Amino acid sequence: AFSSDHWRRCLYVGGWSELFCPYCKISPQQGDAFFPLLNVFLFSRTHLQASARCALTTKTSKPLINAFNQIPGNETEKKSTLDQALRGVLGDQIIEQKASCDDYLSLIYLSISSVTEGICSATTPFLLLGDVLDCLPLDQCDKIFSFVEENVSTWKSNSFYTAGKNYLLRMCNDLLRRLSKSQNTVFCGRIQLFLARLFPLSEKSGLNLQSQFNLDNITVFNKNEQESTLGQKHTEEKEDGMEVEEGEMGEDDAPAPCSIPIDYNLYRKFWTLQDYFRNPVQCYDKFSWMTFLKFSDETLAVFKSYKLDDMQASKRKLEELRASGGEHVYFAKFLTSEKLMDLQLSDSNFRRHILLQYLILFQYLKGQVKFKSSSCVLNDDQTTWIEETTKLVYQLLREIPPDGDKFATMVEHILNTEENWNSWKNEGCPSFVKERTVDDKPKRPTRKRQAPEDFLGKGPDRKIFMGNDELTRLWNLNQDNMEACKSDSREFMPSLDEFFAEAIEQADPANMVEEEYKVVRNPNYGWRALRLLSRRSPHFFQPTNQKFKSLADYLDSMVSKLAKELPVRIFYFFNSSLLKTHNDKDIPSEEIKTGEEDDDDNGDNLLKDTKLGAQWKMLASHLEMKAAELREIETDSEDVDMQAKLLLVAWQDREGTQATVENLVTALNAAGFSQIADNLSEA
Amino acid sequence: MGPVELLHMSVFSQSFSPCGRFLAAGNNYGEIALFSLSAALSPDATGLSQKPVLTFTAHEGPVFSLLSTDCHLLSAGNGEVSAWSWTELIKKNVKPLWTKRPNYKSSLEIPEINSMTINSRDNSLIVGGGDNNLHVLDLEHGVFKAVLQGHSDYVHCVTMREREAEILSGGEDGAVRMWDSRTAQSVHCIDVYKYESCARPQFGKWISCLTTDSDWMLCGGGPSLSLWHLRSLSPTSTFPLSGCQRQAAFYQDMILAVGEGPFVSHCLLGGDVKAQIPCSPQSLNTLQLNTNSTEHRVLTVGGSSAHIDVFTNLSYRAFSLSF
Repeated sequence: AFSSDHWRRCLYVGGWSELFCPYCKISPQQGDAFFPLLNVFLFSRTHLQASARCALTTKTSKPLINAFNQIPGNETEKKSTLDQALRGVLGDQIIEQKASCDDYLSLIYLSISSVTEGICSATTPFLLLGDVLDCLPLDQCDKIFSFVEENVSTWKSNSFYTAGKNYLLRMCNDLLRRLSKSQNTVFCGRIQLFLARLFPLSEKSGLNLQSQFNLDNITVFNKNEQESTLGQKHTEEKEDGMEVEEGEMGEDDAPAPCSIPIDYNLYRKFWTLQDYFRNPVQCYDKFSWMTFLKFSDETLAVFKSYKLDDMQASKRKLEELRASGGEHVYFAKFLTSEKLMDLQLSDSNFRRHILLQYLILFQYLKGQVKFKSSSCVLNDDQTTWIEETTKLVYQLLREIPPDGDKFATMVEHILNTEENWNSWKNEGCPSFVKERTVDDKPKRPTRKRQAPEDFLGKGPDRKIFMGNDELTRLWNLNQDNMEACKSDSREFMPSLDEFFAEAIEQADPANMVEEEYKVVRNPNYGWRALRLLSRRSPHFFQPTNQKFKSLADYLDSMVSKLAKELPVRIFYFFNSSLLKTHNDKDIPSEEIKTGEEDDDDNGDNLLKDTKLGAQWKMLASHLEMKAAELREIETDSEDVDMQAKLLLVAWQDREGTQATVENLVTALNAAGFSQIADNLSEA
Repeated sequence: MGPVELLHMSVFSQSFSPCGRFLAAGNNYGEIALFSLSAALSPDATGLSQKPVLTFTAHEGPVFSLLSTDCHLLSAGNGEVSAWSWTELIKKNVKPLWTKRPNYKSSLEIPEINSMTINSRDNSLIVGGGDNNLHVLDLEHGVFKAVLQGHSDYVHCVTMREREAEILSGGEDGAVRMWDSRTAQSVHCIDVYKYESCARPQFGKWISCLTTDSDWMLCGGGPSLSLWHLRSLSPTSTFPLSGCQRQAAFYQDMILAVGEGPFVSHCLLGGDVKAQIPCSPQSLNTLQLNTNSTEHRVLTVGGSSAHIDVFTNLSYRAFSLSF
């Protein structure tokens, strides 16, 4: 808090005489009592102005924020004081005429940051902009306006938009009034574009809701000789009473001669058409329509007869145009001098303008516009003529080089989209922003029969309901037939050892099975054996010179080969000689009778051989067992027999189908247990 | 002139006045009409401006040929040539200055004169017509000084090759003959129909149009319109125009041709037809460009109709003058 002395000093600096009421003549000391609020306001304003200037020079808004916090009053009062202060600073800058555009812009930046800081009202930046633009000449307004354009996002943000949009609109309209459409076309365009970006599409102030025409757009041309520019020079000079110079004029009363013959007939008819384009409602009147018809037919006949060529001369011109950067052709109004008529007729762009005018006019005449009065209706003849002429116009458009076809398609497309805009207008220009939809009551379930995809596979556990319990059960066993066929449970082909186990057993001479009872003699068995061998055994395909008298003999040899290879099951090996020689204890019957498909090895019999028992470790190295596995075996059991068994079991697990007798025999031999190996291979 | 006569009228010849402000046109009834171009082209022209300022009967038969000199209008009719003064005509005085008749061998039938041309070197008039010959009239002395014989059938068209002082004539016999004006002898004879590129046997061999600019020659008729190089006497390009062409002219880098068909053909020297501008008569006989005045520089065409089409811009018909 500052003392009142401080305030008084500030005020003194600001100019006490301004505050002195001329009628009351109250002194400063007295003034304190009588004008407390005004004093405070002016003190504050001066202080803030000084701080603002300081902020500008230091390029930070801190001094201003500090000042704001120091001055007395509530938020609203302080804010309005700052508004005034900033406007005052700007006013001073403008009056001093020493500031540049950048200075003004930095002040406006300051005001924007003040709004963000919350010390200034949101309308102030806009008021400042308006003030600046009102006071500056147009070339500087250009720079200020660039700033406005660049900050569209700021203006559109929540804090600024509602406060500032009307100010911006007024500001832009004021600028547009000052500018000339033909001299400052680009600037006018920029302003329009800025407004288009600022406001949403359905903003009413930017719309021509009533579909009114620009009736002021009158095309002037020479309707009779008096108005002709040809005669003007002559009459002016005559009025001045000057001597007519020799050789300057032609005959006495004739206008100055022009150098080319002019078709006035076409000239007048052609430019009269522009009046119908300006005010299309005239077309609904019968007599005007007749004139329009006649003149249009003549003009279009000229266009039809006078075809534009795109031969070498104009191609060169086109290339020049393209080379110059594809300059855009633009003009604000038609030039209607009669001397230009020939040149205009031979210009592609001019023709395109005129033909496009026709198409737009026809679209209006035919279209459903809400604001047309009820008398504006075409009769059948008119409609027919319009349709025929539309076809002719499109044909002429296509013939105009360059790229006539492309242009015509583009025009057609654009006019089609116009229909959408037309209906939008008829509906009163509704906003394009989609509203959140309110949830309606849930839809009634449709009675339509569902497609199969809808009810198949949708039940719990993705079950498919066939409509019948039994069918459902059957179908859900497996939905896919092919997958079902591939499943393991359908693997009916037996393995070799399974099928041949009996034969192998019978082949063992120790079992003393008589020849005639051997299963290999059974032709049925034999056939099945052959089939199985062809699917599973490589021996089937090995060429051999051996001649077999019968299938049974062949099968015998195969069986003996297989017996050597197949991992033998304890179930059958129980009867082998190996077991018998070394068997002291009975093998637990469960193990024997399980008859597992993944083969046990013949480990048990070896265990009974005490020689191996303690020396299982020697075998282990030849069975390529890892040290870790050996340690595991040792920890699992203390009994050496058990350890030997574990070894063999581990080996079998690892080898799987490779856990064959042959491999075991090889390892045993390598380990030095040849006796055991021989016993094993004999069995 | 009743409506039936108007319906059957054909315009055969045209000529512009030396000042360029008037057009004279001759029709099949032997009449010559004078039209004021300045009135028709002025900003406040009315329907009346498109009517003749003067119409008079010049000959008994059709006026097939009209020619303008510095101050005279020469017209050819039924075997005779008449001369009129332009200044007198503009004042609506229709008395001819003189009328002359070439020496025809036979006095029973009077051959028509189809075409005339002026040899400015020795101020003589060359006329060609139905007696298969060309007659040279000395304008200074008013006597026929030479007869050029060579054609075996009547002569359709005559033109002058200025630089070499040669006369070119085309005839019904299909031959284009070149004559030396001093010796009155035929120096060349081209049978156009014998050249395959030009020949159109279905139309015949007659040559109805002939024009030259000293190096090049355009000729056409039965055979198709073709451009010839005169030094080498060979055709360089032919123009694919249907129908027989009756008159052709060089214009800037284009060729304008009229003939059968209600249009004026614009062709390029290479042989392409650039454009065909529609006009009102069903077929055209005569084509003239007004080179005597820049502000009235129009193209006019006339044919089997009482209307003469005027083109201010070569690419479309502006309006028509009518008898």
